[in-house]
Amino acid sequence: MFKNVLSRLVTQTVRPHRYAPPGPVIQRLIPASGPLRSFTDRKDEAQPQFDASLLDVLVCPLSKKPLRYDAETNELINEELGIAYPILDGIPNMIPQEARLIQKDSTEMPTQ
Amino acid sequence: MFQRRSRGQKYTFWLRDGFRDGESEERIKSYHRPHRRSSMQKSEYTCDHRPRVYKVFENVAQKYDIMNDAMSLGIHRVWKDALLHVMHPQPGAQLLDVAGGTGDIAFRFLEYIRLQEERQKRRAARSSQTPSWQDISNNYSTEDESRESRAVVCDINKEMLKVGKQKADSLGVSAGLSWVVGDAEELPFDDDQFDIYTIAFGIRNVTHIDQALQEALRVLKPGGRFMCLEFSKVNNPILSSIYDAYSFQMIPVIGEVIAGDWKSYQYLVESIRKFPNQEEFKGMIEDAGFYCVKYYNLTGGVVALHSGFKL
Repeated sequence: MFKNVLSRLVTQTVRPHRYAPPGPVIQRLIPASGPLRSFTDRKDEAQPQFDASLLDVLVCPLSKKPLRYDAETNELINEELGIAYPILDGIPNMIPQEARLIQKDSTEMPTQ
Repeated sequence: MFQRRSRGQKYTFWLRDGFRDGESEERIKSYHRPHRRSSMQKSEYTCDHRPRVYKVFENVAQKYDIMNDAMSLGIHRVWKDALLHVMHPQPGAQLLDVAGGTGDIAFRFLEYIRLQEERQKRRAARSSQTPSWQDISNNYSTEDESRESRAVVCDINKEMLKVGKQKADSLGVSAGLSWVVGDAEELPFDDDQFDIYTIAFGIRNVTHIDQALQEALRVLKPGGRFMCLEFSKVNNPILSSIYDAYSFQMIPVIGEVIAGDWKSYQYLVESIRKFPNQEEFKGMIEDAGFYCVKYYNLTGGVVALHSGFKL
């Protein structure tokens, strides 16, 4: 087992070739330098775009209802509660306190 | 302040009485700079120490992996490999790694599954003695199984996830890997979604552990497995004293030298001591509703791997 540890210590940061097999598959899909609305693209790596396959599992942490992806503002919107969760660098931020209120007359989200 | 502290009498406060002793409490409070909220008070772990935890990990995010190697002398890799070995995921499994930070578990998971698939293909090739050209070309072109297995890394801290995402990009791994900022006590996932839920060295940082356990139960599919790696109680007295000496003397120093942050690593060591022991934590997991809960001691109890099933 320690041989494994040593070899990992040495090679951990230096092996882009290790994962070559997925390469050709990715290139077959839509190139990453496409328009922002290409969220049907599941496997892009070049730009920090939001992976739409996440939408299958993601829900609002407060109401547990599905969310809508808004490509213009790059946010995930829960219409029911009127809040929008921001996406930074392709990583959605699902902390309720950091969500933006869409309607001005909505009540404050409860902090925990 | 730390230089003035002498080894003799004051040292024993740390080991024997933890924080219940009045004098050591005062000393703890004096460590913190005035503008920082001290969360190490007597009624301590019931107050929300999320802002404190956030700051700790924000400060150390860039150096997190290096610090792990330095502090645990590389043994943390063995612990994480052991977790994967016990998990033994099959192709098609859906993993949720909470407090996954820089993605160590998720990377290992995807790698393990990739090796499993290769093993299966080799076995299939061996059993079918003369595969037709159609079979061979099918084997090469379908990537269905690797697309199905997916790892979602959830962490409360953006910085840690950013570091993890950079690591993924540099390794060229991104298929089936997703990053989400979320709270372990309030997961942004629907019910019955994942086959495996892991939380490696993260649950001691959660304010309400029982809530996190209930959320884990909620998002797991029936038959899903909960796995938790966490620092725990060392029973052997000799090992225990060596471990304590190392924790309180060496780790904050290493933290200061490498990450430039003494206090965060002091927090780390203190939070480890505060965490319930193996049996207590097993009880908490059972209370949350998991079945067949068991734990494995690694490195003499320094780390415990707890596992439970949602049935």
